[in-house]
Amino acid sequence: MQAKASSAPKVRARNVNVFYGSKQALFDVNLDIPDCSVTSFIGPSGCGKSTFLRCINRMNDTIDICRVEGDIHLDGLDIYARDVDPVILRASVGMVFQKPNPFPKSIYDNVAYGPRIHGLASNTDELDGIVETSLKRAGLWDEVADRLDEPGTGLSGGQQQRLVIARAIAVRPEVILMDEPCSALDPIATAKIEELIDDLRAHYCIIMVTHSMAQAARVSQNTAFFHLGKLVEAGPTEQIFTNPNDTRTQDYITGRFG
Amino acid sequence: MTEHIVKSFDDELDELTAEVARMGGLAEQLLSDALDAVVSRDGDLAKAIIKRDKEIDELQLELERRVILLLALRQPMAADLRRTFSALKISGDLERIGDLAKNMAKRALILNESKPMSLTRSVHRMGHVVGNMLKDVLDAYTTADVDLAVDVWHRDEEIDAHYNSLFRELLTYMMEDSKTITTCTHLLFMAKNLERIGDHSTNIAENVHYLVTGEELSEARKSATKYKKKK
Repeated sequence: MQAKASSAPKVRARNVNVFYGSKQALFDVNLDIPDCSVTSFIGPSGCGKSTFLRCINRMNDTIDICRVEGDIHLDGLDIYARDVDPVILRASVGMVFQKPNPFPKSIYDNVAYGPRIHGLASNTDELDGIVETSLKRAGLWDEVADRLDEPGTGLSGGQQQRLVIARAIAVRPEVILMDEPCSALDPIATAKIEELIDDLRAHYCIIMVTHSMAQAARVSQNTAFFHLGKLVEAGPTEQIFTNPNDTRTQDYITGRFG
Repeated sequence: MTEHIVKSFDDELDELTAEVARMGGLAEQLLSDALDAVVSRDGDLAKAIIKRDKEIDELQLELERRVILLLALRQPMAADLRRTFSALKISGDLERIGDLAKNMAKRALILNESKPMSLTRSVHRMGHVVGNMLKDVLDAYTTADVDLAVDVWHRDEEIDAHYNSLFRELLTYMMEDSKTITTCTHLLFMAKNLERIGDHSTNIAENVHYLVTGEELSEARKSATKYKKKK
């Protein structure tokens, strides 16, 4: 795949409000997220960053009391339009969670699962190819090539996280959402995931929630700071971490509240 | 600004600023004593200055150690990062200012061996202007006064003008009477030292600007006109 270059935002959010029952969790969020780069969401617990992340592949649909208002567009298409199938949307907008959650299947089947149900391969050779490229792109191939039949759950935490990234990649997503992808990993496994994210950003729009400000500073090109359900400030990471505009951003990233 | 959740972080940053201010005070004193030593031909004072420069050097080493520790252990961000970085940069300039003052003291000792010259007055006058510049920029640092820093920054041209006129004056003397060449050359080097101290003060002004606003002063050069000159 060629690295894509485009000035139009990949994801565009306008006046997004989210409610859990009567409690409002997000207030009028407006944000453009560029393609082929990493965007970090930072902010204290309960600030709405994960809620907003989950809006981007309609994961909040799975919560009965959750209501999303406003517009979120992916490549100019309204993802909350009636004719959008959230299951197909989620193939385009993959997600990686805090704790790696491989299926209780073999390493091969973990990666092959998505392409199979979405009918992306017409024969086993093609499927083998998808599994191999996905594992290679996730930086796991060399470690598992000779034991694809072993259960995915038998891998180490860091390997499992790369396995689920391979699983997300296998269905050819355009956007990858990551909700604290390294918080359950040790520093070495974290570094490997960060290195992987840096490789992946040539091809995907990556949006990541992280509690580690240092991680946001290291891996992302853009950073958005959320506080009390509002998007306080978004901009180039280097600006956010050297010269933020808003005092709340300043106070949070320098450890004055949070 | 509100305090950090971790209080000792605040203390460490405050200590950095205090240490830079202490270095600044020493550098200022060293410069003014060096000028006095030149004018009053006070050899003892000159010797004392040469010794006291070591104090600034040691303070700078200590400050560098603190900055390294702070970066390693606290990972300062945003305004804290700028504060840490500025402290390091400014301490470097102050250390150089100390060296230049020391060099003037050494030359003062040599000048004492020859006949006094009225031109030392001109050097003293230039030194006075440079001394004020240094004092103001240190005030700007401790009070985070951007306007004052920009003002000091503009004064660098004034110093250059002083230096150029002194240069011409000294040249004239040397051409008239070759016996004055030794003295005049030392005075010329002193003037050059003062001009360098002016440059370091300008650097400090740029760092104060960056520390407070997060923007480089040269970038803000055009908008700098909005700051009124306090002349």
